[in-house]
Amino acid sequence: MGHRILIVDDHPSFRASARVVLESEGFEVVGEAVDGASALHECCRLRPEVVLLDVQLPDIDGFDVCQQITSYAEHPTVIMTSSRDGSDFGPLVSTSGACGFVPKAELSGERVQELLGP
Amino acid sequence: MTGLRRALALVAIEGIVVGLVALAIVLSSDHVDARGANAALGLFLGWSFIGAGLFAWWRRPDNRFGVLMTAVGFAYFLGSLTAADSSWLFTLGVLFSSLYVAVFVHMLLAYPDGRIDSPALRKVLAGGYSLSIVGPAIALLFANRDQLSCDCPDSAIRLGTDPIVYDVLDPLTSAIALVLVGYILYVLVKRWEVARHPQRRAMAPVLWSGICLLVVFAGQLTTEAVNGPDALQSVTMLLGLIFFALTPYGFLFGLLRSRVVQAGAVSELLRKMGDAPDGSSLRDLLSRALGDRSLQVVYWLEDSQRWVDAAGRPAALPEDDDPARMWSPVEREGRRVGAIIHDRMLCDDPELVRSVAAATGLSIENERLQAQLRARVEELRRSRARIVEAGTAERRRLERNLHDGAQQRLVALSLTLRLAQGRVHKDPQAAEQLLGSAQEELGRALEELRELARGIHPAVLSDRGLRAALEALAGRSPVPVELDGTPRDRLPPSVEAAAYFVVAEALTNVVKYAQASQARVCVSRTNGHAVVEVYDDGVGGADPGRGSGLRGLADRVSALDGTLELRSPHGAGTLLRAEIPV
Repeated sequence: MGHRILIVDDHPSFRASARVVLESEGFEVVGEAVDGASALHECCRLRPEVVLLDVQLPDIDGFDVCQQITSYAEHPTVIMTSSRDGSDFGPLVSTSGACGFVPKAELSGERVQELLGP
Repeated sequence: MTGLRRALALVAIEGIVVGLVALAIVLSSDHVDARGANAALGLFLGWSFIGAGLFAWWRRPDNRFGVLMTAVGFAYFLGSLTAADSSWLFTLGVLFSSLYVAVFVHMLLAYPDGRIDSPALRKVLAGGYSLSIVGPAIALLFANRDQLSCDCPDSAIRLGTDPIVYDVLDPLTSAIALVLVGYILYVLVKRWEVARHPQRRAMAPVLWSGICLLVVFAGQLTTEAVNGPDALQSVTMLLGLIFFALTPYGFLFGLLRSRVVQAGAVSELLRKMGDAPDGSSLRDLLSRALGDRSLQVVYWLEDSQRWVDAAGRPAALPEDDDPARMWSPVEREGRRVGAIIHDRMLCDDPELVRSVAAATGLSIENERLQAQLRARVEELRRSRARIVEAGTAERRRLERNLHDGAQQRLVALSLTLRLAQGRVHKDPQAAEQLLGSAQEELGRALEELRELARGIHPAVLSDRGLRAALEALAGRSPVPVELDGTPRDRLPPSVEAAAYFVVAEALTNVVKYAQASQARVCVSRTNGHAVVEVYDDGVGGADPGRGSGLRGLADRVSALDGTLELRSPHGAGTLLRAEIPV
């Protein structure tokens, strides 16, 4: 527990809810980003351990952002999220370099921790 | 008698008088051989040019060719002064004796449109005019009687009798004249080479008699310069006279031929149009009749105010300043039905184009109806494609709206409820707060879903009719909306839906762009049509091409055979009007 996490989503209501949920389960939310460009910038600036990354961002597609983040030398672990079901994206999650997918409605610290592993 | 006719009659009278004066001068001359023959020939040539020139002037007052041809006749008569016995008149006659050649060249270069556009050619022509005066002036200033080999009066302006000066200057001016004539010949032959078929037909008689005359003139200058045998000089002079005399008659022959061709072309065209179809299209028949292979026929669609080709595709007419192409309208019973796009050269024969256009009015009207049908089919095809595209775009928009709106709120709601669930026992107060915010989130999600559902199809429209739906629409609009009237009876569902969405889109645009203080909506049933009008008092200047909203509406209305019209002058409000058959 206690992972430093960056939340990337263009909907303020989701960012606010996700912050409350994750913080209540012991995560440290180090920042929020509203689009792909600011996500890449905040990643370099804040050096989070985990990035919770929305698939549908206003500027760059979430999977492309994930590929860029995971191409860095010491990159954080990326967990993709969306209000859609994971099956809608086929193999995109696994090929983008993300460690897993969690539907927004099922987001919890426990699910994130499961994906991160022991 | 019109102003032009009166002016031409005056010029004709002047021509007769000048001709008779020239005749008198030659007949009474003491140094001209065969006075009778010379006088008659001079009169024949001068009057030929003046007569043909006046005819051309009358036919095409805007074309300076007629003026120039008339001027050649007068300039020719001026040369008759060389027969005068008075020294001063003789001098004047000699001085201007070659002017007619320069005017003739001017006329040739300006044929057929009466203009010389090339600056280089204008300079050459100016050189020709100068030389026509300078050459004789040198003879008058420096030549003695022996050198002129003529039993004529003395020059009134002779400076000396040194034979050397004349012997040097005369061949020099002849050589310059030869170069000029050579260049002009080159220009004329080149003009013939680049001319298109209809141009050649119009240019041939004048251009070729002119070219032959210049060739003979060049030969004459050469034989004089090398002091060739007298017999040769006489032959070239005779040939020159023949070709000179032929030019005005060549011009008249060209006109006559074009009239014969015109009558033949029209009767041939009518005969072929009457025959059983032989696979030739109307365009092919017209192309052959007018001798213009590049000819096109386009059709006027009155309802959509545009030109289309035979396949119903949009067509463009040539601009007024197009150097190669122009168009002639085709009318039937006073209505425009089409146009013939043809080579600009055919404007030299406007009667032919007019006759052909008149002869084909009925056929073009028939083809126009077919083109109109094809254009409508084409428009329907495009409209259908746009409706399919609009349907796809609408589904995308709905998915996006659901995803960004209600779905996000429900996600947040789910997370909040889970948090509340986890705190019910540990921290009931916090759980209660979370449930409160979940309630608010749920309310907002419901409102967004309602808005979305109204956009798909307003339930109140189906249940309560157009008036209730429009009242609800007006009530939600931030800009005050006055609902003037709606039909008492229900309209067909598709018409009601189209009317509703016309008003909805118009009011959305009023709020977004019009800066209006109020809007007025009126739906009436008039002459078998539902007429929907939305007017606002805003800034106007709405662009029908802006966004996809209006185009989508136009397609929706046109799918019901209706029309959509936007009037939006700058600063004077906007009126969106739809007429849908009921």
